[in-house]
Amino acid sequence: MRILFLLISFIIINSNIYSQNDCSLSVNGKVLDNETKEPLSSVLIRVDQSQEFAISDEEGKFILDNLCSYNFKSIITRVGYYDSIFQINEKNVTIYLSQETVELNSILIIDEKEENVGIRSISQRSINIKDKNINPTQSLANLISSIDGVTFSSVGSNVEIPVIHGLYGNRILVLNNYVKHGFQNWGKDHAPEINISSSEVVTVIKGSSGVRFGPEGIGGAIIIQPNLIKLNNPFYLDLGTGFQSNGNGYNFNFKTGKGYKKFGYFLSADYIKIGDRHAPSYSLTNSGKEEKALNLGIHNHLNNFDIKMYYSYLDQNLALLRSSFFQSGEAISRAISSDVPLFIRPFSYKIDEPYQDVAHHFAKAKVDWWYKEDEKISLTFGGQLNKRKEFDVRRNAEKPIIDLDLNTFDYLLEWDHSFGEGSEGLVGIHYFNQDNDNNPGTGTTPYIPNYNIDRLSLFILESKKFGKNLIEAGVRFDNETSSVRGRETNQNIFRDKFSKSNVTFSIGYQNEVSESFLFRSNFGSAWRTPNMAELYTFGAHGFKSTFGLFRYYIQDSNFNTDRVIKMEENLVSSEKAFKFINEFEINKYKTNLKFTLFSNYILNYVFERPIGIYGTIRGPMPYFIYDQADVIFLGSDFSFKREISKKITSDFVFNYLWSKNLFKNEKLIDQPPIRISNNFIWNINSFWKINSSEISLLPSYTFKQFQAPIAISPKDLIDGSISINQDSEIFDFKDAPDGYLLLDLSWKVNVNDLSFSFMVKNLLNKKYRSYLNHMRYFADEVGRNFIFNLSYSFK
Amino acid sequence: MKLQLKQYYLFTLLFSMIFLYSCDEDDAAPAEENEEEVITDIKLIFTNKADANDKVEAKAKDPDGEGTKELEVSDAISLKAATSYTLTFEIMNNLETPGEDIGEEVKEEGAEHQIFFSFTDDAFSDPAGNGNIDNASDKINYKDTDSNGNPIGLITEWTTGSNAVSNGEFVVRLQHQPDVKTSTSTATTGDTDFNLKFVLNIQ
Repeated sequence: MRILFLLISFIIINSNIYSQNDCSLSVNGKVLDNETKEPLSSVLIRVDQSQEFAISDEEGKFILDNLCSYNFKSIITRVGYYDSIFQINEKNVTIYLSQETVELNSILIIDEKEENVGIRSISQRSINIKDKNINPTQSLANLISSIDGVTFSSVGSNVEIPVIHGLYGNRILVLNNYVKHGFQNWGKDHAPEINISSSEVVTVIKGSSGVRFGPEGIGGAIIIQPNLIKLNNPFYLDLGTGFQSNGNGYNFNFKTGKGYKKFGYFLSADYIKIGDRHAPSYSLTNSGKEEKALNLGIHNHLNNFDIKMYYSYLDQNLALLRSSFFQSGEAISRAISSDVPLFIRPFSYKIDEPYQDVAHHFAKAKVDWWYKEDEKISLTFGGQLNKRKEFDVRRNAEKPIIDLDLNTFDYLLEWDHSFGEGSEGLVGIHYFNQDNDNNPGTGTTPYIPNYNIDRLSLFILESKKFGKNLIEAGVRFDNETSSVRGRETNQNIFRDKFSKSNVTFSIGYQNEVSESFLFRSNFGSAWRTPNMAELYTFGAHGFKSTFGLFRYYIQDSNFNTDRVIKMEENLVSSEKAFKFINEFEINKYKTNLKFTLFSNYILNYVFERPIGIYGTIRGPMPYFIYDQADVIFLGSDFSFKREISKKITSDFVFNYLWSKNLFKNEKLIDQPPIRISNNFIWNINSFWKINSSEISLLPSYTFKQFQAPIAISPKDLIDGSISINQDSEIFDFKDAPDGYLLLDLSWKVNVNDLSFSFMVKNLLNKKYRSYLNHMRYFADEVGRNFIFNLSYSFK
Repeated sequence: MKLQLKQYYLFTLLFSMIFLYSCDEDDAAPAEENEEEVITDIKLIFTNKADANDKVEAKAKDPDGEGTKELEVSDAISLKAATSYTLTFEIMNNLETPGEDIGEEVKEEGAEHQIFFSFTDDAFSDPAGNGNIDNASDKINYKDTDSNGNPIGLITEWTTGSNAVSNGEFVVRLQHQPDVKTSTSTATTGDTDFNLKFVLNIQ
């Protein structure tokens, strides 16, 4: 709160210059309690950047004299109330102040502290969604891709998956409100079902956080915090709506909430509808989406207890580009070699096959027991139900080809403690349970088996401060049991049951060398069992056929797929990662520089590689297998913020990543290319009726991925002019696309409680393809998009 | 105080409900499905129009469906010269017992399917030429139509020429054309469900 206040005043100090002539104006005002509407006496009202001040009388009234204009900022303080900044632009004003409770304040601060125990030495970035001028219809992955070292991989315009330092999917933990988001996290086309406009803060942890949050955090973690439900917070009701030109999209949302002395609540709902988008030169047929979200939460504070309960629901209907789905080599060859997509139809809101229909229910309850002022025991429960249906272009298109229900339960008991001054620690027991079931009626063999996963984990994290140094260390033990029941294509049942145990550790160090220089370093491990798709995938999915780790074996150098391997045959190991991440931060007057260097060494990394071409009824098809090898990732992120002038800030970001498969000494596929961007933000003083206005211009350049594997076109594969076998190196169907320059513009204006924003994405209407978009084989990225958003806040 | 008690009560209730629900562990395998996606066996049946007992069959088989076993194209098509035949198909998924008749579904969804043909130039006197894979407007004697009056190709008629052909070629291709099948759609419209090449002999 205080930091925020300082920050705001800093910005204000830097942005206001007043003319010095004719300083004889005066303002009459009144200060009231926001809740009781009682007048407040003894309130200090200071004029920003001036000697002028006033103190309110018994009736809450005050007079400010010797003013140079009717447009200035005032800083208002009173014991027992939150400090606030008020823009005065009239002769008569009424100011409302909110009461603060000392007890509550300390709790909120501790709450924040506890959640960072053991991960403070890891490079991390937060985005405060309220402060940022964001497009509420964009995906989580798209939102965080503005962070250095983070990007996204996508399948068209609707499915976007976060990528941290080249890793994504099962190697990134997505924590919704500190509970692992339980979804069908496999394949390249399943994005986390998270609606960002109902979230408040999104944090990206760029190091391995396997000890704190459990398996899968190999590349990092993303923490989405919903509304924080503050107590003693006045009632608010925010209404918003928006329109975007590309895809004729529209959206509505509302948020409301209130914090009483011991009770708080919030409720929000969102609706998004977007039709077919268009690339600069054609319509992207079947690329619309529809999304409905509902979020609610309550917070109850009772003596030493804090009880918080959340529920959220998200329903997404996501169309996938019609021109991207082909099952025969002949058709895919034509689709890939064609300059324009094979299906181009007039604009429509209709969502046809192929599409995904996902509903996600999320419930969380947390009880904190503050048995001492800064120590507590908390019990968290998380329950999630993810229902996913996917529809493909096929003879039985009306039946889903994938129809899965995934139940996820989390029970977490944590002890947040301190062994004296400067010491903090967290000990926890975590039980995690997941149950995946196929619903009948797909007319095809289940792609993913039915399974149950039970995991019990114990972890301890301790940190200690010695002057300017902070040392943290942690260790975690996981035991995971999986029970699997699936069907072979002849409908025979296969079963397996296996257990894996693992010890994860992390050590970190942070040094505030001086006021302007900070160094943090963390070395941590993480692990995961290969996911069900990597283990059990069998056969065609689109144009290529892939076999999971348990679906093939090699005998006398012959490749066989006639039985399902069991875990006890010991052919598959868990993936284990060791990530070393260092960050240097320099904070000097007007500049902030962050430089991150990392390495990630991953044992038994699961990846797809080609094994050959086989004749099928549809014609020749390339076959792939999942395999394991040790790999290494090295890279750096660089971010440089600078105040060019009092009104203009520049934010430069540079990402670099290098990776290698150490076993075969070959390149890895689908790795993010080098990207540089520079955001120029121009803050404009208030004028006319506009309180504040911000313009930002963001040029970015993405280079061609020069580390991409060789390209072999489907045509060359099918006609046999290039042959592949088990020793072939990995390849791509198309060369990496050329580099491209994009320009985004945004303008945000506040008029009292009304805020308006106008954005243009891809201002130059650049025709380009992104290397990390799997639709790049078939179509260009979306073209220019004008986005308008309007929101009004009732207080 | 009363309110607080009530809240605690609700809480306990909520937690216990959640625990009860999650304890419901199951051990069920996915239900058996009729695999409608995979085609393993395709049989071409040429029936002599003059003698229903005179049948010439050719088969293609992918023994393990999506597995890596190679496709087996057995039997050359050996037809008599200057004879009229009706060509019909048997399209099956035989991974399951009993097998799934995919031909039946192709027929039901005739408005989304068409079989195209290509063969050694002038092997037949009717249709003459080399078939409609290279040029969709070339003549094929389709004897069935879909709901829009467009040909499907599950039944076609062929009259061999009087000249002998040895080691010729006969290609059949089933195109799946949801929403895009028209009277002018071609052998490259939509996606390919099967594409098979047989040896053609005419004596």
